[in-house]
Amino acid sequence: MTLLLGVLEEGLIYGVMALGVYITYKILDFPDLSVDSTFPMGAALTASALLAGIHPAATLLLSFGAGALAGCATGFIHVKLKVRDLLSGIIVMTGLYSLNLRFAGGRANVPVFTQDTIFENQFLADHIPQWLSPYTMALILFLIIAVCKVLLDLYLNTRSGYLLRAVGDNESLVTSLAKDKGMVKILGLAIANGFSALAGSIYCQHKGFFEISVGTGTIVIGLASVIIGIQLLCPENGTSFLNSLKLPQVRPTTAVIAGSVVYKACISLAISLGMEANDLKLITSILFLVILVVSTERRKKVKSHA
Amino acid sequence: MKKSFKALFLTTAVTASLLGGCSGSSSSPAPGDGASYTIGIGQFAAHGSLDNCREGFLLGLAEEGIVEGQNLTVLYENSQADGGIASQIITNFASQKVDLICGIATPMAQTAYGVGKRQDIPVIFTAVTDPAAAELANADGTPVGEITGTSDKLPVTQQLQMIRTMLPDAKTIGIIYTTSEVNSLSTIEEYKAASGDYGFEIVDIGISTTADVPLAADSLLEKVDCVTNLTDNTVVASLPVILDKAARKNIPVFGSEIEQVKIGCLAAMGLDYIDLGKQTGRMAAAVLKGEKKASEMNYEVIEEAAFYGNTKVAENLGITIPEELTSSAKELFTDIDQ
Repeated sequence: MTLLLGVLEEGLIYGVMALGVYITYKILDFPDLSVDSTFPMGAALTASALLAGIHPAATLLLSFGAGALAGCATGFIHVKLKVRDLLSGIIVMTGLYSLNLRFAGGRANVPVFTQDTIFENQFLADHIPQWLSPYTMALILFLIIAVCKVLLDLYLNTRSGYLLRAVGDNESLVTSLAKDKGMVKILGLAIANGFSALAGSIYCQHKGFFEISVGTGTIVIGLASVIIGIQLLCPENGTSFLNSLKLPQVRPTTAVIAGSVVYKACISLAISLGMEANDLKLITSILFLVILVVSTERRKKVKSHA
Repeated sequence: MKKSFKALFLTTAVTASLLGGCSGSSSSPAPGDGASYTIGIGQFAAHGSLDNCREGFLLGLAEEGIVEGQNLTVLYENSQADGGIASQIITNFASQKVDLICGIATPMAQTAYGVGKRQDIPVIFTAVTDPAAAELANADGTPVGEITGTSDKLPVTQQLQMIRTMLPDAKTIGIIYTTSEVNSLSTIEEYKAASGDYGFEIVDIGISTTADVPLAADSLLEKVDCVTNLTDNTVVASLPVILDKAARKNIPVFGSEIEQVKIGCLAAMGLDYIDLGKQTGRMAAAVLKGEKKASEMNYEVIEEAAFYGNTKVAENLGITIPEELTSSAKELFTDIDQ
């Protein structure tokens, strides 16, 4: 039970970040590496903000805002300065490493065990009954991610959201509508990195400390979540096993969050089975490959039937 | 429809087959004779000193009659310096209802404390340089909860004293450190504060990645009479580069622990990480047996640093290690381990 709860908590935290990667990778078709630095950026800002006495809930918004700014930077470098997409992300990622250390007051490790967080504060202590307390963290995470997901779904159905989706599919369509596709990309990157930093903020409050190394490999977890989630629950050119079970089709955003939980479950399973941390990355890459190969196979078939 | 089943199946199958070869190394204890315990040891990275800590920890437990394989089941995981994995490792321990978690190195100890305090599992840490700065202990050394352990704070003054004895004419000591390692920052401060008492001046140079080490070493070696090392992970990992450059200029490099002297540092007033682990193991035994709670023990440091020297390096540099040091040496190496 503790294990399941642990996996769920981890999955939900990274799920917030995966929503961001869903926007860049799936919608915009932009390989954005800046999430590797916006995730620790959220954590660093949160640690400093909590120590400065800022309300834990406010740090979430602060992190989202800061992440969005960083995303704008990546977008600006790519769109306005005409640097290739992958490189723009790398530039921001590298630069933010130094800035993150500054945000954390020049320290690579900032503990906030004694500070109030969104998971541990007087309000919760007063209002959460004893029997519910083991589940508090999962419930709070669930609430946060539900809000993020619903807001993102709503946004994707606005005019601006449609444009965002159009940029990924067909850039000339956007241009023909007399809209600036560059601005749309920047907006998408801003939202994506906002989510990533938000996840970093939650991570820091969940673990009770900031550590400069937490960002390493964030993009891999994000991509894994998106690919696993989308391929299993709502593949582009087919029906998922949900349909065969007569269950309704889920939205991609839900699928991505589920993908994040599944990914963390795989890692947890691997650890419980005695797998060494050294080999975990290999598992991840094989997981990737298998899912991608299976999905391209399907795509080929669709084409040959067409 | 079939395809997504297939994806799910393939994924599971591949993962399972990969896992087949590496089942856990824990051995279950023999039944009978009194209480038996299960503990989880989480180590942040694979690293000579940290491995020694773990080895010593188990020896310390054994001294108190808690022996792996007899009345102790050990779950051991290494996170390879990945914070996300560290937290999943600890959650895993918690879900297996271990009696105690041992966190080796600061980030692992912090993760263990974060999880442990919610699950009521006592945590014992080791190889944490500054427990108070990591909020794993109060500033006066008293515990912040069900957590205690040992610190591997460097014996800075004893190291300075040793360098003075060895090099009576030296004026400047160079130190390379990684700006993102908290432990290094606090130790540098300590060196700067104490160096005056021994007539030294500290020249420090910060780096951010392993790739910066050669340039930093070149620049530093122009300015100093000798170099001393911290337990800075990045620098220690590139130590051979520094040793090589220093040897060409005939500049002595001092280490901070035994492993560094083995591979070519002239000498060190260092901690014996096995001893540190043993001390930690004994504390853990007291908690497991219920003699004391973790919240009743202050964290401990090793008071006495031991002298380690390398006579081969001394010979190469044309230095003789003074008799007063060799006579009290814990270990003298006559060769350089490559």
